[in-house]
Amino acid sequence: MSTVCTAKASYKKIPGLLELTSTHLQWTQDGKKAPAVHVAHTEVSSLFSSKEGAAQVRLKVGLENDSNGHNFAFTSPAPLALTERETFKAQLTTIISNNRAARDTGAVQLPQTGVQTPSNGGIRRAPAPVPPRPSDSRAESVSSHRGTPVNDPINDFHVRKKVLLNTPELAALHRELVMSGQITETEFWEGREQLLLAQAASDSQKKGRPGQLVDPRPQAVEGGEVKIVITPQLVHDIFDEYPVVAKAYDENVPSKLSEAEFWKRYFQSKLFHSHRASIRSTATQHVVKDDAIFDKYLERPDDELEPRRPRDDEVDMFIDLEATREDHEETGNERDVTMQAGKQRGALPLIRKFNEHSERLLKSAISTDGTGKRRRLDSGDASDSGGHYSQIDLADLHNPEPSSGVLLEMQDRQRYFESRAGAAASAEQAPRPTVDLRAAWQQMRRDLDGWQGHLAQLKTDRKAAEAALASMTENVATRLDAQKRKADIPEEIFGQMRTCQTAANEFLRQFWSAIYPPVGESTLGGPTTLAQKTAKATRMAGYLTKTSEKVGAIVRAAEMAGVDRSRVQTGMQPTLDAAKRALEFWETRKAAPGARRA
Amino acid sequence: MKFFIDDLPIIFPYDRIYPEQYAYMCDLKRTLDATGHCVLEMPSGTGKTVSLLSLIVSYQQFFPVKRKLIYCSRTVPEIEKALSELKRLMAYRISVAENNEQREKEEAFIGLGLTSRKNLCIHPEDARCRDLTNPAVVNKARAEPGSVEVCSFHENMNDIPNENILSPGIWTLADVLQHGRDTGTCPYFTIRRSMPFVDVIIYSFHYLLDPKVAEQVSKEMSKDSIVVFDEAHNIDNVCIESLSIDLTRPMLDAAARSVDKLADQIDEIKKTDASKLQDEYAKLVEGLQEAASDEDAFTSTPVLPEDLLKEAIPGNIRKAEHFVAFLKRLVEYLKTRMRVLHVVAETPLSFLQHLKDITYIERRPLRFCAERLQSLVRTLELNRLDEYSSLQKVANFATLVSTYEKGFLLILEPFETDNATVPNPIFHFVCMDPAIAIKPVFERFSSVVITSGTISPLDMYPKMLQFTPVVQETYAMTLTRNAFLPLVITRGSDQVAISSRFEVRNDPAVVRNFGSILVEYSKIVPDGVVAFFPSYLYMESIVAAWNDMGILNEVWKHKLIFVETPDANETSIALENYRRACDNGRGAVLLSVARGKVSEGIDFDHNYGRAVIMFGVPYQYTESRILKARLEYLRDAYRIRESEFLGFDAIRNAAQCVGRALRGKTDWGLMIFADKRFARADKRAKLPRWINQYITETAANLSTDMALTLSKLFMRTISQPVGENSTGVSLWTVEDVEKAQAAQRQAEAEQTAAVAAQQSRASQGLGLGEPMDEDDDEYDAGGLSERVLGEVNLDI
Repeated sequence: MSTVCTAKASYKKIPGLLELTSTHLQWTQDGKKAPAVHVAHTEVSSLFSSKEGAAQVRLKVGLENDSNGHNFAFTSPAPLALTERETFKAQLTTIISNNRAARDTGAVQLPQTGVQTPSNGGIRRAPAPVPPRPSDSRAESVSSHRGTPVNDPINDFHVRKKVLLNTPELAALHRELVMSGQITETEFWEGREQLLLAQAASDSQKKGRPGQLVDPRPQAVEGGEVKIVITPQLVHDIFDEYPVVAKAYDENVPSKLSEAEFWKRYFQSKLFHSHRASIRSTATQHVVKDDAIFDKYLERPDDELEPRRPRDDEVDMFIDLEATREDHEETGNERDVTMQAGKQRGALPLIRKFNEHSERLLKSAISTDGTGKRRRLDSGDASDSGGHYSQIDLADLHNPEPSSGVLLEMQDRQRYFESRAGAAASAEQAPRPTVDLRAAWQQMRRDLDGWQGHLAQLKTDRKAAEAALASMTENVATRLDAQKRKADIPEEIFGQMRTCQTAANEFLRQFWSAIYPPVGESTLGGPTTLAQKTAKATRMAGYLTKTSEKVGAIVRAAEMAGVDRSRVQTGMQPTLDAAKRALEFWETRKAAPGARRA
Repeated sequence: MKFFIDDLPIIFPYDRIYPEQYAYMCDLKRTLDATGHCVLEMPSGTGKTVSLLSLIVSYQQFFPVKRKLIYCSRTVPEIEKALSELKRLMAYRISVAENNEQREKEEAFIGLGLTSRKNLCIHPEDARCRDLTNPAVVNKARAEPGSVEVCSFHENMNDIPNENILSPGIWTLADVLQHGRDTGTCPYFTIRRSMPFVDVIIYSFHYLLDPKVAEQVSKEMSKDSIVVFDEAHNIDNVCIESLSIDLTRPMLDAAARSVDKLADQIDEIKKTDASKLQDEYAKLVEGLQEAASDEDAFTSTPVLPEDLLKEAIPGNIRKAEHFVAFLKRLVEYLKTRMRVLHVVAETPLSFLQHLKDITYIERRPLRFCAERLQSLVRTLELNRLDEYSSLQKVANFATLVSTYEKGFLLILEPFETDNATVPNPIFHFVCMDPAIAIKPVFERFSSVVITSGTISPLDMYPKMLQFTPVVQETYAMTLTRNAFLPLVITRGSDQVAISSRFEVRNDPAVVRNFGSILVEYSKIVPDGVVAFFPSYLYMESIVAAWNDMGILNEVWKHKLIFVETPDANETSIALENYRRACDNGRGAVLLSVARGKVSEGIDFDHNYGRAVIMFGVPYQYTESRILKARLEYLRDAYRIRESEFLGFDAIRNAAQCVGRALRGKTDWGLMIFADKRFARADKRAKLPRWINQYITETAANLSTDMALTLSKLFMRTISQPVGENSTGVSLWTVEDVEKAQAAQRQAEAEQTAAVAAQQSRASQGLGLGEPMDEDDDEYDAGGLSERVLGEVNLDI
């Protein structure tokens, strides 16, 4: 990893060093070795910087899957900081555009400059670091495939990191053992592949589109001006939601308007205001200037009682409202003014937009889903008049049907049944003891004779009963006692006990996994040869021998804190026993190396 | 399963039965036996339709005298659902038939649904149906083929005898449409011509209540037919609608144009074929009603059968040109009335008096206006009949206004709203008495069943519709676990009271609190959430306000949003998408209006509605003059107080909305009433018993956060697997039914025995004071009434 450039920068107000290497962008806190921020190039998706002349020289890196990204402030003296920032910016911009090119092949052709195309003029150049927008994160769902290749989730550092972040206990253990160098990273993850695979699987699950309407609201900045920040995601969403804008873009950029000019004029046009999901737009209509280009694309608001584009989709008979309207001639008096639909004409385009937007989202979800969940409307066979029976059925009035069960998938089923058949056959052949039914019956009758009397005579020994009761009482008392005194170990000692125990467990796990062959074939590229395994086992055994020392230390500490030592000892006893057992096993094995080979 | 009620074998297409279904069937049978009317309230989602059909079909098939079933529902989706239920029931009956004879009998059973020409048309130009199928055109086409255009689907049926058009069985509307496409016949006329042979006909309320339609389709139904009004909670409104008419200025203009056109036609026909008019005149003189086939009638008279005059049409409108002049005068008069710029309310009598003073039009010819127009249209063999609909309306208006005196009012409203400045006059002819339209139904048919999931308070309906039921019953819902949770939210988390009361409904605090209820519930409830608003106006304004306040953005994060729009088809598509979103797991919110299109006839069972939120109390708009007139009438004629009626009407609609969330007892849902007025005891008392009994004292007055806590708790419990212990309690097998019957018989026997014993002892011990008291005690202990006993059983 060759370093491309470095600079002093603070991250979360902690001073440190920002480095751009050939593969990663990383930041290390002063005085530490390991970088606290470590971002692969492929993950960087956007870049924002503070404007020149601002109090602080800042750089914000937006990540593929983290909307907040990382914020760095360059801490060198002002002129130097600025040049440093520019260097980083230049480098990162190339990286991002490469990423984008890789990603956008399938998506809508986005303007290259869209990385940071704030509209100018009345809407002033976006100066400050952009507040986190939810749309940033959606770049992921827009892209046809993810930026980070996750071919090997088990060895993927990010996946590991995520697993650790999600499970604090594991993270604590990791800190305890791996960071302190007692066991290696690979060893730690060995046997925990499932966690990583699960995490990778859940990561690779594609997020659906969030539901919000595309409604870029201008933000007021000081000086009474407004600005709208355009992100590639926003552009994509606008094109998707309003095909007419995409059409306008297609026809006018770059022939008649430049990219920036296009957006500037769009946001000032009537077209934009008619797209705003708000009835306020009608109010702002007259403030907005005419625009020769965009006004061509303007449509009349869709606020008639009947939609402008009537649709003749086939509607299920059970929800066909039109049919009811057509069922009989309209009779009676007009409904009162509050019950006439569509009286609030301003709200109608909005309502239609909601329905259309929802439908679009639904379609995108269903099409990406492929099969999706089975529609209830489609269920049922053809004979039940188009699935209508299932809609009128009262399921609980049927007798409960025995479920068909799940077929047991067995390896070597054939052999299993053969062997069973064989066993049964042999049992068949074995001579059965012949039973004289009559004799047996009489025997039974004799045995049962006078059972009522016997039952009446049944007496339980008083002493035994009392003893049983006493023991039960005692048991309950002890438990109660234990419950009452449970919390009297100070939190600190208890914590130590817990750490000690989890650490010992981990060693044990490593130890035994080195001794016995792994269950599956999936190994972490850990020790595979016998020698490596032995080495590892030896090392673990070494750690395990120290367990009793550690316990001793805790016990002493507990005594100092005024806790009954025996209680701590009892608590740690199982751990000690397990360690002892492992060590004994190890001793015997070492003593007889020949046995192992056999 | 098969069991007996008294001697009647019932075949029920499920393995088990809910106790309330059994009780419902028993009461229904009592009604049919007594040939009387009944009002039954059965909890939503407990299989009312299937119980009803199951009992009535069993009844029809068992007794030799086949009584036809006329089953009326509100909407086409509900008609189709009922047909599907019937189809499945018959398939089941055929499958369990014990012998061939029985099977044949079941297979010969015919059930059909009927809806409009338009809904049943498969011709590419459905709007022209009447022009292509009316007898004049058809005869002409037959006389000289190719001279006029006719509908091939209709023509293809000519050679098929009516009874052979459809093979026996149950035909849903979709089935008939498919049949029409397959055989190239017209589905509408297929149904109309098969109607005399059916055992069950299912159509909407209007086909029986609206005299214009009933005259055509329901005339030949025999008197012993069983009439069922399902989902009848709004039946009074349908009754009123069927006898009310609105006239507007554009309508009168169109009518005037039609009159002119008629005059032209008459002039023309005088030149070409004067004999036709002569014939018509001769017939009218003789008072002969032209017997045109009913199915082709352009429209028939809007008044009820017993109000029809069986007289000849008066002389001054017998001649076609006289009648046209008469119409012209009438239309001109109405147009003049429309010019008035202040509100006028008058009775039909005063209207007629004024009309007579100005135009010399008498009441008697006015009554024959609709009929005379019909005759003229037929004589002239007009086409493009739809263009005459405005004139038809005016004629109907004339006939109605001159026929009825009581229970009607004319209101002229020159402006749409109070602050409007441009006049847009509407002349309302308002029927205020629902009993008028339904009276002939009660008189003609021996058994009328009025049933719904929400028809409380029960005594309101007999009072409004003026009939005496033999059975009047409401059923509780037996549940082994609470399948639904009704909650009353009276204030937001900030403790500000919420209400859709007119004065506060647009208060930002209330709007925000309503919004946060929606947001919070869209966060915690899986799949579908349905929200109802009290009116379209309120929904449209609150949706806009929520959007501007950013509330809907929060909802978008969790669910998709669909909204009811003014257009029915558009709303259907939104509904379809809403359901797909619920099935798909994305989850969605549907915003719609109580009393609106969606609230009637669409079910939100299972995942389609895990929570129903009622924002506000769906009161009617009390400033409406029509409503005011109606309230006044109800008070004067039936002693129903205004506030009582308004409250009843609002609550029945609210209950109807929330009730759509359940189907079956394993289904579950939240019912949220968000308005502080729901907390009042008098409001809650009007809710159906099966809802009200599950509103606990604590749940009757909640803030949003408390309601959320309860809802979460409820969803956690309800998500546990259902125990198997519901059998025998909320689910009965055949054995349970028999056990219940045995218990009931025993109780009856004991009661009669006790009564007999008491009577005999009373007669013996006449004059002996002391033993009498003892007897009374004994009677009290042993003689529980069967109903009480039934309930004891039910509530275990």
